[in-house]
Amino acid sequence: MMRRFTWLVPAIYIIFLMLPIYWLLNMSFKTTNEILGTFSLWPQEFTLDNYRKIFTDSTWYNGYFNSLIYVVLNTVISVTAALPAAYAFSRYRFLGDKHLFFWLLTNRMAPPAVFALPFFQLYSAVELFDTHIAVALAHALFNIPLAVWILEGFMSGVPRELDDTAYVDGYSFSRFFFKIFLPTISAGIGVAAFFCFMFSWVELLLAKTLTSVAAKPIAATMTRTASTSGYELGLLAAAGVLTIIPGAFVIYFVRNYIAKGFALGRV
Amino acid sequence: MARITLENLKHSYADKPENDDDWALKHLEFECADGGAYALLGPSGCGKTTLLNIISGLLRPTQGRVLFDGEDVTDFMPDRRNIAQVFQFPVVYDTMSVYDNLAFPLRNRGIAGEALDKRVRLIAEMIDLTDTLHQRAAGLTADGKQKISLGRGLVRDDVNVIMFDEPLTVIDPHLKWQLRSKLKELHQQVGTTMIYVTHDQIEALTFAEQVVVMHEGSVVQIGTPVELFEKPQHTFVGHFIGSPGMNVIGCELDKGKATLAGTPVATAPVKNEPQPGANLEIGVRPEFITFAKSGIPVNVVRVSDTGRFSIVETKHKDQSIKLLVPEGGIIPSEAAHIRFDAKHTQIYADSRIIT
Repeated sequence: MMRRFTWLVPAIYIIFLMLPIYWLLNMSFKTTNEILGTFSLWPQEFTLDNYRKIFTDSTWYNGYFNSLIYVVLNTVISVTAALPAAYAFSRYRFLGDKHLFFWLLTNRMAPPAVFALPFFQLYSAVELFDTHIAVALAHALFNIPLAVWILEGFMSGVPRELDDTAYVDGYSFSRFFFKIFLPTISAGIGVAAFFCFMFSWVELLLAKTLTSVAAKPIAATMTRTASTSGYELGLLAAAGVLTIIPGAFVIYFVRNYIAKGFALGRV
Repeated sequence: MARITLENLKHSYADKPENDDDWALKHLEFECADGGAYALLGPSGCGKTTLLNIISGLLRPTQGRVLFDGEDVTDFMPDRRNIAQVFQFPVVYDTMSVYDNLAFPLRNRGIAGEALDKRVRLIAEMIDLTDTLHQRAAGLTADGKQKISLGRGLVRDDVNVIMFDEPLTVIDPHLKWQLRSKLKELHQQVGTTMIYVTHDQIEALTFAEQVVVMHEGSVVQIGTPVELFEKPQHTFVGHFIGSPGMNVIGCELDKGKATLAGTPVATAPVKNEPQPGANLEIGVRPEFITFAKSGIPVNVVRVSDTGRFSIVETKHKDQSIKLLVPEGGIIPSEAAHIRFDAKHTQIYADSRIIT
């Protein structure tokens, strides 16, 4: 009797998870009047106008470009900086290494809002305000420690003997590091990059504070709920759908490695 | 192929070694002949791996020199020493195929084309990897991976020395035998100097011509398996090699004659007089003790039958003495007398042999 309903719980859970996303998708194909006026489970007047607007209006699509530019910049900076650091933490013992490793995380213990003012002041002073690199660097403050933690876990899973064997087999350190070591921990690099990407993609406060026009992220554009033509809820919904897509796309590629990262207890 | 000389070698992992315990290697001085098969035998933590890493150049010794064929290589990096090393746990380059893994050390030395292919296939044949040659190394089982590690150690025929650091730990028992005899066979074919580290006495004794027994950071004896068995230079060697190990019994010595709580015991002749006050012990292997009509009085405590022979544990006063009785031999039930084979009964002063 019980067995016939074993599908029920996961089904309810999946509905629960998918409902907001469905509702967003649903809204994005409706007109604002329909959203405000009637309750409907699917669009009564199906329209692609909302999407058309986003792909043609530069204030909208530039938001996506800006976000993607600083997110990619940030991911590259964070992973590049974290790789040698993580290697040092996993392979060498030095004075205070354990403490330093732990204190790396302290930056993550404060809400990003704490850093909004100092960053704003600093970047204005050095004329980096409203540039992509400013946001990328600000996010690196949070992402580099995280990437070091994740990569250190993966690197420590690789036996030291791999290094030794490569030296004995005739490789120098740099050839070993790039040709053997990096490919061996590619899963870890994928996971670290994913988390850097995700944090930077969803972070709004710093990104909004440090930009005005030239590097304004999509999420900041989306906080503009009303324009000269009144409420544009359909448009916002469409923008929301398009914002989910990059995340879903990236997670698809690292889905197998994420589980490994969780198993290492580092994610 | 090379003769390896270790000169006055000392190593410590501490920055400023203060007392004796800080030294992982206390004082080492020995030479491996060109083309010899050596085994480094000792319990875990006695410094075997440290020594191996010093020879391969992964560690720089705190003191002393390493020479290959008389040339000082102490400051050479591993790649300049022209060596091969196989570690305890499988190390494979996961991103490469089995073939590329085996070819890797050759390619790094500029060997290519037919010579490379021939050599890789020969080694693959030897370690049963021909079928999986083009698979990715990542998908193999632990012993499959370890076979690759072994193969990579063996693939170059111009190395100075091949070092094995407990290479068969993760391998199935039946395969262990196979691989061990393969290694031995290969050694006879190519005649490369080989150093084999292990804590398993059977592995050491079957593989090596010369066994180096290490204990707490120093070498206690270097010898052939027979020498180690028949004339242990140190009570540790007697204990560690043989199963059950050598009996070590406290004794007294008077004018070169040993007595065991009053009972005289015939031993090999004493060569060096012990220091006065030294701790004296008789060492005799269970194989060289027999029951007799007269001799040392003992009580039989326990008999364990292992098949081909029985291990009989007896007590003389409060000292335990073990002996081996072959299958079908008569074992007295309680009080009995035993006799030592004088030729194989040694006396040790402060654990070192004096006979």
